Amino acid sequence: MSVLELYSPTDLNDALRFIEHDHRNLAIIASGTDLLPRMRRRQVSPSILVDISSFTEDLRYIRQSDGTIRLGALTTVTDLLDSPMFYGKLSIIREAAKLFGAPQVRNVATVGGNVCSAASSEDLIPVFMALDANLKLVSAGGNRTIPLKDFIVGKRKTAMKPSEMLAEVSFSPPGERGWTAYEKLGRRNMLILAMVNEALSLTLENDLHTIRTARVALNRVSGKIPALAVKTSDFLEGKRVTDQTIAQAQKVLASELSLTSDFRGSGEYRTEVAQVYLKRLMERCTRQIGGGS
Amino acid sequence: MVKQAVTISVNGTEHPIQVDAADRLIDVLRDQLNLKSVKEGCSTGDCGICAVVVDGKLVNSCLMLAAQCDGRRVATLEGLLEDPTMKRMQGSFIANNAAQCGFCTPAMLMAAWDLARHSPEPSNEEIKVAISGILCRCTGYYQIIDSVREGCGRGGR
Repeated sequence: MSVLELYSPTDLNDALRFIEHDHRNLAIIASGTDLLPRMRRRQVSPSILVDISSFTEDLRYIRQSDGTIRLGALTTVTDLLDSPMFYGKLSIIREAAKLFGAPQVRNVATVGGNVCSAASSEDLIPVFMALDANLKLVSAGGNRTIPLKDFIVGKRKTAMKPSEMLAEVSFSPPGERGWTAYEKLGRRNMLILAMVNEALSLTLENDLHTIRTARVALNRVSGKIPALAVKTSDFLEGKRVTDQTIAQAQKVLASELSLTSDFRGSGEYRTEVAQVYLKRLMERCTRQIGGGS
Repeated sequence: MVKQAVTISVNGTEHPIQVDAADRLIDVLRDQLNLKSVKEGCSTGDCGICAVVVDGKLVNSCLMLAAQCDGRRVATLEGLLEDPTMKRMQGSFIANNAAQCGFCTPAMLMAAWDLARHSPEPSNEEIKVAISGILCRCTGYYQIIDSVREGCGRGGR
């Protein structure tokens, strides 16, 4: 590794002032579970690291207010598992956290790091996308909020400016007649990066048959970019939950995905699995809501 | 490279050390403090044999910068040799032939010790999750699972 320097700011404001004025090849480091291996493989070669890992007072929290759940960027995956918040309608977070990396990684890996890495290997991104999560970006010049789906603009590319930092991920649990579900496939059950990672948030109308909202998100939709499957989600909305609807939605999903092959699996296989998972997720959510036919 | 002065508490002793920004915790533990129970395997967080306990949490020391450990408490196997839970766990590993080549054994013991502290009577499923981040290259998992279960107390010796 050829790191030249590590800067440990005294507080968040110091960090924001620093990243606003320092224009070297800079990377923000929290736990480093994604950054350090990438530096080792020379996929990135920052000349200075800004260490934000000590700002736990400001950035490590799980809060709920007015129905919105707010996760500080330094919240660890183990924090998510330890929280009483992610059962029932939000057990999707627990499901993803349980299958995330290894215990040693979960103990330090952060929500913010997962989101900012913007890669198909980041298990929490499809989950947050299905929940229509918003991100709070902070900078010395002020704050802004951006939907996660607009934040990820490419493989490991985000809409974040060099002077900005992610402070918070927020989302609302699905409302009445709503549920969420998650599926992950790797080559083994644990300690594995996903081949397919799919999340669904579904709400039904009063009749318990018609789909009010659907959000299907995957670790890869086009190429290696995590995203909402917009066409599939749109197709489902307004339809009645029937075997036929699900079968049609599977076809829409297959046409929407354009997946490449790599050592983890072929594009064809991933597409097949994504369709099977869509059916499974639809059935799981519908059963929990108590609807369907 | 600019050296940085940090103080890391390792196995109960404060160590003021000079580190490069690129030094990882594993580099300091093995090369500066001569703690060779901490093994380097994949260096990318996939195999877990560099596992140590930092501020009470099991972590991979290859994925942590030494400079980020300033003021933190690190425990390695060397510091736990007289710990009753670790002694029982080691005895159980020996009795059940849990070490084959031995490369993963220190990390397995650290994970087992960490589990035993939180869960005195873990189920097999809990044990599997607890050691899921540590790769046994000999694949001798059944002996390890038996050892952890016994070492945690239930049916213990």
